Amino acid sequence: MLSVLIWLPILGAALIALLPKNIPTERIRLAALLVAGFTLAWNIFLLLKFDITSSGMQFLENIPWNETLGLSYQLGTDGLSILMLVLNSLLTWIAIYSSAKQTERPRLFYSLILLVSGGVAGAFAAQNLLLFFLFYELELIPFYLLISIWGGEKRAYAAIKFLIYTAVSGALILATFLGIVWLTGASSFAYDTLTTQGLSSTLQVILLAGIILGFGIKIPLVPFHTWLPDAYVEASAPIAILLGGVLAKLGTYGVLRFGMGLFPEAWTIIAPTLAIWGAASAIYGALAAIAQKDIKRMVAFSSIGHMGYVLLAAAASTPLALVGAVSQMVSHGIILAILFHLVGVVETKVGTRELDKLNGLMSPVRGLPVISALLVLSGMASAGIPGMTGFIAEFIVFQGSFSVFPIQTILCVVATGLTAVYFVILLNRTCFGKLDNNLAYYPKVFWSEKIPAFILAGLIIFLGVQPTWLVRWSEPTTTAMVATIPVIENVGIRSEDQKVSEWLVASD
Amino acid sequence: MEFLIQSVWVVPCYALIGGLLAVPWSPGILRRTGPRPAGYVNFIMTFLAFLHSLLSLPATWHQPPQQIFIPWLNTAGLDLTIAIEVSSVSVAALVVITGINVLAQVYGFGYMEMDWGWARFYSLLGLFEAGLCALVLCNSLFFSYVLLEILTLGTYLLVGLWFSQPLVVTGARDAFLTKRVGDLFLLMGVLALLPLAGTWNFTELATWAATANVDPTVMTLIGLALIAGPMGKCAQFPLHLWLDEAMEGPVPSTILRNSVVVASGAWVLIKLQPVLALSPVVMSALVGIGAVTAVGGSLIAIAQIDIKRCLSYSVSAYMGLVFIAVGTQQSEAALLLVLTHAVAAALLVMSTGAIVWNSVTQDVTQLGGLWSRRPVSGIAFIVGTLGLIGFPPLGSFWALLKLASALWETQPWLVGVIIVVNALTAFSLTREFGLVFGGRPKQMSERSPEIHWPMALPMIILLAFTLHLPLVLQSLSLLPTWELLNKDVALLLIWSSIFGCSIGGVIYFGNAIAKPVQLPWKGLQDLIAYDFYTPNLYRLSIVFSVDIISKVTDIVDRFVVDGIVNLVGLISIFGGEGLKYSTSGQTQFYAFTVLLGVGLFGVLMSWQFWGDQFLNLMYSYISLILNF
Repeated sequence: MLSVLIWLPILGAALIALLPKNIPTERIRLAALLVAGFTLAWNIFLLLKFDITSSGMQFLENIPWNETLGLSYQLGTDGLSILMLVLNSLLTWIAIYSSAKQTERPRLFYSLILLVSGGVAGAFAAQNLLLFFLFYELELIPFYLLISIWGGEKRAYAAIKFLIYTAVSGALILATFLGIVWLTGASSFAYDTLTTQGLSSTLQVILLAGIILGFGIKIPLVPFHTWLPDAYVEASAPIAILLGGVLAKLGTYGVLRFGMGLFPEAWTIIAPTLAIWGAASAIYGALAAIAQKDIKRMVAFSSIGHMGYVLLAAAASTPLALVGAVSQMVSHGIILAILFHLVGVVETKVGTRELDKLNGLMSPVRGLPVISALLVLSGMASAGIPGMTGFIAEFIVFQGSFSVFPIQTILCVVATGLTAVYFVILLNRTCFGKLDNNLAYYPKVFWSEKIPAFILAGLIIFLGVQPTWLVRWSEPTTTAMVATIPVIENVGIRSEDQKVSEWLVASD
Repeated sequence: MEFLIQSVWVVPCYALIGGLLAVPWSPGILRRTGPRPAGYVNFIMTFLAFLHSLLSLPATWHQPPQQIFIPWLNTAGLDLTIAIEVSSVSVAALVVITGINVLAQVYGFGYMEMDWGWARFYSLLGLFEAGLCALVLCNSLFFSYVLLEILTLGTYLLVGLWFSQPLVVTGARDAFLTKRVGDLFLLMGVLALLPLAGTWNFTELATWAATANVDPTVMTLIGLALIAGPMGKCAQFPLHLWLDEAMEGPVPSTILRNSVVVASGAWVLIKLQPVLALSPVVMSALVGIGAVTAVGGSLIAIAQIDIKRCLSYSVSAYMGLVFIAVGTQQSEAALLLVLTHAVAAALLVMSTGAIVWNSVTQDVTQLGGLWSRRPVSGIAFIVGTLGLIGFPPLGSFWALLKLASALWETQPWLVGVIIVVNALTAFSLTREFGLVFGGRPKQMSERSPEIHWPMALPMIILLAFTLHLPLVLQSLSLLPTWELLNKDVALLLIWSSIFGCSIGGVIYFGNAIAKPVQLPWKGLQDLIAYDFYTPNLYRLSIVFSVDIISKVTDIVDRFVVDGIVNLVGLISIFGGEGLKYSTSGQTQFYAFTVLLGVGLFGVLMSWQFWGDQFLNLMYSYISLILNF
């Protein structure tokens, strides 16, 4: 069942790579679109078959592979990963749809995208640490090529930076995985056989730190984030959608699955630090975004800020906060995808991403009114205005975390205020203002450029108005995960906070 | 009847549907008809909403409030059920909101005649109306917060309707950000309240508050956070700037904003009053903020020269009085004042909006002599003024009297505040009337005819309603009875109105004092005219610090965080480049390197056998040298 999600895109990638040279680009794009569409359809089918009352792994597959290494082909999904799988398929389809009709070297481009999609699906579905690691590394090289061949001006620099950071992240993760298995003396790398309870807490914390650093690079957490603005900005719009929408989620998924899932005891020790880190990331990302002059870079920094909320929720690890974390991962993926798509359209039509040059795109005659309207919608969704999916996810995160980490939560609320600041700057400069009629001879926006944005905007509104569809999948799983974690104590926070939480508990 | 009252919760949907139906007339979609049908569709839907709420009002009278619950989200212990309360007060509020909306939309037909943005304008009006209607029906703090945030977004887009003008863009930005600051404090309060109270339902919150035993410091913090949201909405000091800048938006939306939108904050505040009353500090803060805004706002209003801004500060001032009412637990007086203010303020905005529409200037000092040309607008302005200040028997007199009577015994200084605000408002409105309608026509007001019917009609209807408001209130037995009222206070109120109006009349209708009037102290006049320099204060404090901090963050990001990364990269490149020259091709060099490497390796391997002796040797050498 789950194998289809991995091997269909990879097979498609192989086929597309082998297509004869004289096939026109549009046909190749169509073929890729079909493959991605089938994968998405299959994924939705799986989602419908997914049993939302069960907290365990579903759609299990297990094929022995290399018993001596402890590596076997084990797949499965639960409330934590099923939405990530759907998000991956959806955004792959959107990314292919939003790619330009005339891409250079189309066969390589589309097969790399499909390869990435298969790899990410494998990472989300894997039930074996080594298998996860194989898939995790599989997407690295295609992304490197996608950035360095079809990227912007500084693409070589950005791609190398991305490569090095991700490789370091991979090395840390591999080292930790090996450490876990050797130190616990487990016979295989399968998730369900591993338990770290026997280890001393020092060892647990050290291993957990390896996990968090490794995946923290991917999320990314400040100060390991500098690959992100460069990579997101230099990558073309479809690749930025995949990078921001899907790849970053591997980081938070890893922290939840391997950090919280494998080290419930050490998690309580490290949680206060993580909460502070998440809040700091959120504020840092928002502040840095305010100072940007390039709208794509601004969106890239906004991504750093929004991932901070996920970390806060993970640290708080109340059932509500974890539901919020998963919801925030999905919402952020959708919102970031639409933002990158729209910014990409603006860039192709207007020819610049500079805030100081853009102006008055809302103008109905010569501007890009539909794109501007959608940009307003997605910017506001990202800023957490209710009625859209970003709000409800953030709200659940905040409400879930507040009882454990009040001060950090309030800092994150401040960060959403700062988010509003830079999105108002972005919208005021880009959409509002007076359009220079002498310069405004923009090409027409095609329907094919509007449709992905309409789909994503529809999802943003639908999930905002009917959030049940966002949270229902993950609730049993997250509740079960939290049950293994001892109650988090407020170690490492200043005494005032402790007082506040004591008050809250006392009066509860 | 029963059906209407059962289904009164759909009232917000009318406006929402109207707003959605207006979208197809956006430029480039439906070309054949022009954009005007968007307005007509919206008007019909709003009118239906008005009829629905009006017809169901009698059925709610003297009935206990009905609660309706609609499940929305329930996850991991968080129960978000939409709670709706259908009571006489909420349905009456619906009538007021939809009624003023109907009038504003007809007014918009006239005002927006030459505009292409009908679809956007009317769909936003629809969204606004829906949000307001939902807010008055809503009985949950969480959903009130949600709706306030949506209204914040609506304000941003509606003020920014004419986005190609620079002042509009900054006005929209400031409106959004100021309200958002308030909203986020409100969000913190909402987040913090749930673990304590266990509910967001206003009714249950009131029950909880009656017996709650909470740490006073925590409750004060939460209460202060909770009032920050209404402060932003009601344009209270220091979050008041946006209302003034929002005047750049189209007038039909200003009608709504100055009358009912600002009241949305007051509404939530009134609903929250039992919770806020848990902390005396919060109540004092409410009174303090209200008093400062009331007096400050009415002073600033006097010194403005923009015809719309003169009015906007009076709105802040009256909302300040509402804050005082809530802070002294006079909810009924607060509601009454909100109602009478809404009607009168809407009428005033309609009257001045008509002048803005077809005069060359908005500067009151350059207008004049419009009375003979614009009798309808003039009468509307007079009635609006009398309806706003304490002038019997019109509406606000009763509201102000009720509030002041209740405060007479307990906090007489607040009665003083009310009297001062009333006198100042009377003065400022008389001043505006005198400048605009009195005197001789000036160059700018030579050609300024009366407006056409789509604007005149709603104005006349509202004028009539303002005049009849006391009768309506009496028939609903909402007017306070004489026995309960303090006659001294009534006299004081009336005298303060007369005093304000006559001073204003003497100065601005007569020629005894040269205009523009100069105060003896230029500094004081500037201080008031420039809004106590709050814009500059903001620019120097918050805007400046956010700007600097974000720039510093950016610099740190570029040069420190990324700099270290790039430095590592550079070092490794230079290291590699440097090492490349070691491959010289000479055998003896390679042999030397090999020997050196093997030697070092050997030393390392055998260290444990003689390392200690080596260290001892070194130690004795050093001591030997030192001893010399």
